[in-house]
Amino acid sequence: MAGVASPGCASCAEHRTQSLVRLGLSPDRWDTLIALAGNPNTGKSTVFNALTGLRQHTGNWPGKTVVRAEGAFEHAGKRVKIVDLPGTYSLQAGSTDEEVARDFILFGRPDVTVVVVDATRLERNLNLVLQILEITDRVVVFLNLMDEARRHGIGIDPAKLEKELGVPVVAGVARQNAGIAELIATAADVSAGKRKTSPLRVVRYAPDVERAVSELLPVVESVYPEVPNARWVALRLLNADEAVQEAVRSGELGQLSSSAGDAVPTIPPELERQRLLEAATRLRWDLPADFHDVVTQHSYEAAERVARAAEVSGLKRAGFAFDRTLDRALTSRTLGFHLMLLILAVVFWITIQGANVPSSMLAALLIDDGHTWLKGLAASMGIPWWLDGFVLDGVYLATAWVVSVMLPPMAIFFPVFTLLEDFGYLPRVAFNLDSLFKKAGAHGKQALTMCMGFGCNAAGVVATRVIDSPRERLIAIITNNFSLCNGRWPTQILIATIFIGALAPASLGGVVSAAAVVGIALLGVTMMFVSSWLLSRTVLRGEATSFSLELPPYRPPRILQTLYTSVIDRTLIVLWRAVVFAAPAGAAIWLISNITVGGGTLADHLVGWLNPFGLLLGLNGVILLAYVVAIPANEIVIPTVLMLTVLTTGVAGGSGAGVMFDTESAGATEAILRAGGWTLLTGVNLMLFSLLHNPCSTTIYTIFRETRSAKWTTVATVLPLAMGFVVCFLVAQVWRLVGGV
Amino acid sequence: MELRLPSIPLNQTVELIHIDLPAEQAEPLMERGVLPGCRICPVRSSPSGDPIISVDGALLALRRETAACLCVRLLSASGVTSLQDAS
Ligand SMILES: Nc1nc2c(ncn2[C@@H]2O[C@H](COP(=O)(O)OP(=O)(O)OP(=O)(O)O)[C@@H](O)[C@H]2O)c(=O)[nH]1
Ligand SMILES: [Mg+2]
Repeated sequence: MAGVASPGCASCAEHRTQSLVRLGLSPDRWDTLIALAGNPNTGKSTVFNALTGLRQHTGNWPGKTVVRAEGAFEHAGKRVKIVDLPGTYSLQAGSTDEEVARDFILFGRPDVTVVVVDATRLERNLNLVLQILEITDRVVVFLNLMDEARRHGIGIDPAKLEKELGVPVVAGVARQNAGIAELIATAADVSAGKRKTSPLRVVRYAPDVERAVSELLPVVESVYPEVPNARWVALRLLNADEAVQEAVRSGELGQLSSSAGDAVPTIPPELERQRLLEAATRLRWDLPADFHDVVTQHSYEAAERVARAAEVSGLKRAGFAFDRTLDRALTSRTLGFHLMLLILAVVFWITIQGANVPSSMLAALLIDDGHTWLKGLAASMGIPWWLDGFVLDGVYLATAWVVSVMLPPMAIFFPVFTLLEDFGYLPRVAFNLDSLFKKAGAHGKQALTMCMGFGCNAAGVVATRVIDSPRERLIAIITNNFSLCNGRWPTQILIATIFIGALAPASLGGVVSAAAVVGIALLGVTMMFVSSWLLSRTVLRGEATSFSLELPPYRPPRILQTLYTSVIDRTLIVLWRAVVFAAPAGAAIWLISNITVGGGTLADHLVGWLNPFGLLLGLNGVILLAYVVAIPANEIVIPTVLMLTVLTTGVAGGSGAGVMFDTESAGATEAILRAGGWTLLTGVNLMLFSLLHNPCSTTIYTIFRETRSAKWTTVATVLPLAMGFVVCFLVAQVWRLVGGV
Repeated sequence: MELRLPSIPLNQTVELIHIDLPAEQAEPLMERGVLPGCRICPVRSSPSGDPIISVDGALLALRRETAACLCVRLLSASGVTSLQDAS
């Protein structure tokens, strides 16, 4: 929040930062609209966070941000709305995330576009800058990552760059908040017209192209009067850009330029749209086919020239010796794979070991003490049994179980995972796995979306926007569910600890359980390859397209910030979601266990009815019913299983559900499950089924939103479920044949 | 004889002369700095032969098929060999 600074220091940078009042999320009205554009992984989200105080996720790999994020702050009495965009290399968008960025830059009517530029890769970054300068005067270039540039002996003179480009250039280090105050002051000046710019424009089209543009332009403007940058649209149409043609044909072009709150412009009549497309086709006939390529060539040459001019010569360029050494191990032909497995195993082991004690403490507190105490309280107040049962044995118990089972492992796993992500390890994983994805006919970046899926499948599905080929993106979406998400691995950890870790001597229990969980996660990855391969041989036939993946330099993660953000944002948000779903589920479970129909409770009937089928799969009726109840969120499977077991088998021994949870938590859970007739096979198959079943409701909805296809959403939902049934059935049959259990 | 990137030994810097791909596939590479005239250097290669190249100080992972479309030429002996990428 803004402090009151004394007038004497009004001119210093410190004061200017203080004049910035964070407003958090987007306001409905604003005076200035700023777009944050730039190549991937240049620090746009870091700048956004520095300005808004929000915590937009950042990560050291290209493609972290795939949707638009909005935030607001107040600067010098003006309300400023700022939009963080996905990274893009150019305005000729290839993938969906790049399209999001391009559409906003071109049609979002920003007052100022801030282009965040990586100082260590100036030339490549300038391509986008030059393209943006073609369409608008109001640009500020933020020369970020100056610290890395310095470290690598790359010197850039911001003043010279500014002179070359004709727009203000601010140098800084977003991660340390350096240059942010100057950036915002400059952007405000440019937006208010206090600072005049004269952008470098390098693109010169041949006279015949210009003539075609001048003929087409009025048509674009008459059909889509609301759309800014009509000239750009005309040029893309003349160049037969399919995406732009489609936007014209469908009328979507008109919607792009309307911001939220405006009345949605009406789609121009079909005939008009057709007229525009036909005019473009007719004019295109007379133009040389490669007119665009010639222009791009000029643009690249200009970028090179500007970069040369702004470079400070005479510095000794330092190599990336540390990076190269580390890469030699992490992406090594022989070691890379093993190190990847080792890292995965260590992450799980830390999670399992670390979560043990806090989990049982929470269980003791919330369930043993808390529940008993509340029951006592309710009894002393004379609350009717059904209300007390509904609220305490239903809603409260389910919620308490979710918190004690989920919170500790998540609070450990998320930060550790985020540290790896911030360090820059994810793209290396993608490199190591690429040859497998290629064999499966899938895209190399699917590995990145797979990694995001380990956090949350819905997030993984959205992350597939970085994949530019629609076929390969669909494969990545359909198979993302095979990444074991955080909602499922508490189940894995618990069952592995009880049934598999217990087989080993106590001292090795943790290691063995971790190995079992890693094994399941790897099986998921294998399933992902197998089903991607199947899909690209059958319904989604095609060859893997080419792609290139940037491997960013390793960056020391910001440990404290990572801990803070991953606990606050990820852990608590996911936990909250679990609680929101657990409470009504708890109520539902209590109701079906207490409503009696024809001599048995509803739950008894359901479980009894599902049991034969469950046993056939090496599971049981309770588990299957739990999976039906847990469709909204996988997180609640274990609590549901426990409650249903207690309530339907009456393991408590007649003294009511609460008593069951008196003993120490893992032991109590085990006692419940064993009493419910569980064997090692049940445990193993539950782990398998928890990996292989339909995605949760949020993920299903996200898949529908991203694919806009009921057919593919159904495939993505049913395919893993069918695989789960088949795998569990086979395991059960073999197990019974061999072991006779 | 025309040289292609896969035939270049690791850590030898070469100059890119031409990208033998249709424009819409070459464009993404060019946007990432793989431009005719630039220096590129294969720094690693995966078990199946997919290279990581260093270009303009950045690392880029390519698939073997893409790398095979990069026509390159050796730098003359007198040329600059101590490059930014020589690690
Ligand atoms: N050393 C250093 N690192 C930075 C700086 N700014 C950002 N980073 C790091 O660079 C990485 C990428 O930052 P992001 O803000 O996620 O980049 P982005 O441009 O939003 O990336 P995309 O959303 O993928 O396009 C993160 O690991 C940041 O911590 C900086 O000035 N110096
Ligand atoms: Mg970002």
